[in-house]
Amino acid sequence: MQKKIILEAVDIRKDYGDLRVLNGVDIRVREGELVSIIGPSGSGKSSLLRCCNLLERPTAGQIIFDGEDITRDTVNINRVRQNMGMVFQQFNLYPHLNVLANVSLALRCVGKLGKAEANAVAMEALTQVDMAHKRDAFPGQLSGGQQQRVGIARAVALNPKIILFDEPTSALDPELVSSVLAVMKSLRERGMTMLVVTHEMGFARDLSDRVIFMDGGVVAANDTPDVIFSSQGNERMRSFLSRFLNER
Amino acid sequence: MSQAADSGLIHTFFNADIVRQTSPMVMEAVGQTIAIGVLVIVAGILLGTALATWRFHTQSRVLRALIVGYVDVLRAMPPLVILILVYFALPYVNISIGSVLATFLCLSVILSAFIEECVWSGIMTLPKGQMEAARSTGMSWWQSMRHVILPQALRLSLPQITNRCIAAIKNTALGSVIGFAEILGSAQAASSDYANPTPLTLCAILYIGLIYPLVLASRYLEHRAGIR
Repeated sequence: MQKKIILEAVDIRKDYGDLRVLNGVDIRVREGELVSIIGPSGSGKSSLLRCCNLLERPTAGQIIFDGEDITRDTVNINRVRQNMGMVFQQFNLYPHLNVLANVSLALRCVGKLGKAEANAVAMEALTQVDMAHKRDAFPGQLSGGQQQRVGIARAVALNPKIILFDEPTSALDPELVSSVLAVMKSLRERGMTMLVVTHEMGFARDLSDRVIFMDGGVVAANDTPDVIFSSQGNERMRSFLSRFLNER
Repeated sequence: MSQAADSGLIHTFFNADIVRQTSPMVMEAVGQTIAIGVLVIVAGILLGTALATWRFHTQSRVLRALIVGYVDVLRAMPPLVILILVYFALPYVNISIGSVLATFLCLSVILSAFIEECVWSGIMTLPKGQMEAARSTGMSWWQSMRHVILPQALRLSLPQITNRCIAAIKNTALGSVIGFAEILGSAQAASSDYANPTPLTLCAILYIGLIYPLVLASRYLEHRAGIR
């Protein structure tokens, strides 16, 4: 018996003026799954992810989250987003707030928790990403890897049903990537559902339940990592993966 | 001998007797000026921030153009002209306001135009990701503005905001033209009463005393923001 589908994109199209970046994309993420989206730059990976929580409005198509079509106008998107965390390539921490306040802000504004309660939940999330000791630091005093772990804690603290990761390690120095990937791995072990746009092929191959290969605004392949990385795919995919496969 | 000293610089600009006699009148004006200055600053910052927020929020091009027009016109016009227009022209359309209220209204509106521009440029400087990050956690647009965008925008534009507040306080002196007995107006009156410019010296010192705390306060705030 398969787990229930938590997030589904149905025939998503996205145009920026005359430019069509997504041309009929369908994806499904089931509860507890880690799905990676890979593909060349400009293939629409990030646009798709940003359509999932409506940071970008799809031009056409539906996003079904937890059984509800959230692209309908009547849906309160703020309520939906509380259950759908997001982690950004550029971290996007609030530079004027310390680490604890970065994580607890939404808990207080949205979760309506009191200060003590919000701080307790925030500390729990910071402990999960091994950043509790930096609770009083400001983002500017942290390394990129540390900032991204706080970014993950900010998403985790809301106890979402899924977390969207938009190239979480692409802005990091190589030696800082592993600490962030380790945190993502431990989240997965705790059963967090994750949809990850990434260039970390090792991560996608080793930790994903499924890998989606996007090219030219469509899903070019959607399969288990074993199949995707065994070079059985089409020409375009083989050439994209060849560099990675050759490096091994 | 003493005659020569009396007609000298000290007697003319730093006359202790004159200070003694005129200071009660001038000091009374200090209270008025501080009160109006504080009110203008509070009203100007609130209105200016609200306008910048509105300009950021609205999807309507017309509304955005109206706000920009308001800001540009008010910044371009000499404050004295606005003050005289409001005070002397409004009675013709059966609106009559006192000189204190007229000064307060004009200076607040002018300050709001400058503050709008400061805050707006602060908002534009922030990376788009700040709003997106806040919204991605389920915070509403207003909550994101209040807790994430505006605190940063205000901090970024603090030096310009301080400058505009200083200018606004000094512009209270324009009120003397329409009969508002603020510091400069009463100092001028006192100096003609006593045929001696010493009250104007007193006035200059009072302005420094009024404005310097503002400079120190903003420096302290900038320093605190800089630590982060």
